Formats: sequence, structure tokens, C-alpha cells
Amino acid sequence: MNKPTRTPAYKRYFRRHLVLTAAYLLAVFLTSRFVPDDAEPTPLFVALALLPGIAVIGWIWAMGRLLVELDDEFMRMLEVRKFIVATGVTLGLTSVWGMVELYTTVPRIPIFFVFPIWCAGLMIGTIVNRFAFGTDTGCPR
Amino acid sequence: MKNRLKVLRAERDWSQQALADRLEVSRQSVNAIETGKYDPSLPLAFRIAEVFGLPIEEIFMPR
Repeated sequence: MNKPTRTPAYKRYFRRHLVLTAAYLLAVFLTSRFVPDDAEPTPLFVALALLPGIAVIGWIWAMGRLLVELDDEFMRMLEVRKFIVATGVTLGLTSVWGMVELYTTVPRIPIFFVFPIWCAGLMIGTIVNRFAFGTDTGCPR
Repeated sequence: MKNRLKVLRAERDWSQQALADRLEVSRQSVNAIETGKYDPSLPLAFRIAEVFGLPIEEIFMPR
């Protein structure tokens, strides 16, 4: 088996990720184009605003499929560890900031940022893996 | 767990990559097992035993 990221599971993941990213960009373009700023929540505008979110759910599904389809148990463990670190980072940051928001007038973080924070947590997970095992899957996100 | 992977591999003149190919895992997996950073699952341990033609207890032992 060559580089871990050249295995069929990773190849499928990258392909899915590429398609979903294109769908996300198209959805953001369509939504920005057709939904005016501060639009009323009419069924049409809500439906259009849902489109990018559906693509984000697609990314999450693709990551879940990667875990299911990875044959290499060590690589799967590294991925799972990254997910756990990312979840911990996200829960920690959002909980702490939420408390600060509750008691002070600091700027509110839109809930939209939870997923990007989680993705940043994956990068921290990569660093943690490198410290713990001297390696990582090399899977860019 | 301790293991004799490195010795057994050297006896057969196999690189980590060669063993990884036989086991259908990544070279990183072999390295992590060999250096004791990762303990393989029972199915993978059986596969390793099969590749070396030895019983599991002759490859892996408690620390």
C-alpha cells in the first residue's frame, strides 16, 4: 500500500469533497445572488438559504463515510483522534465564548462559525497526532 | 505490548513497506506497531502472524 492518502477510501473522499465543495460554492453564489440582504423568512428565501447548509451536511457525511471505508485501522484511529480533538476544541471554544457573551457585551459569534472552528480543530488534531505518533494521515481538509 | 516485528522483518530482509504491502496496510501502520506506539487489533495481529507463519504469542508479548 502506497501513501495512505492514495488508498481507494481517501480517493473517494477527495472526489466527494471536490463535488460537494463545488456544490457549496454554487449554492453560496445562488443564495447571495437571489436572496436580498435582511430578507423576510419567506419559504423561497429560506429554501435558498438552506442550500449551502445542505452542502455542509454533505461534507460531514463524506467524513463519516471515510471512517467507514478506511481499511487501515491505524489510519482510521488517527482520523478518529483528529475528530475527537476537533470536537473538544469546538465545544471548549464555543462554551467559553458563550459564557463571555452571556455576561458581557463582547461581539456574538454567529453559529455559522461552529463548523469552520471544528475544521480548524482538525488541524490541531493533526499536530496532536504528530506529537503522539510521529505521523498523521496527511489528509488535507 | 512488546513485539518482535523488527527482528522478524530483518530476518526476512523485508522493508517496512514490503511488510505493509503483505498486510495491506500503510507503512505508517507497520512503523507504529513496530515501535510499540500502536497495538494492532486481534484480526490484524492474526494477519501479521499468518504473514510470518508464527503463532501470535511468538510475535507479541506483554510488557
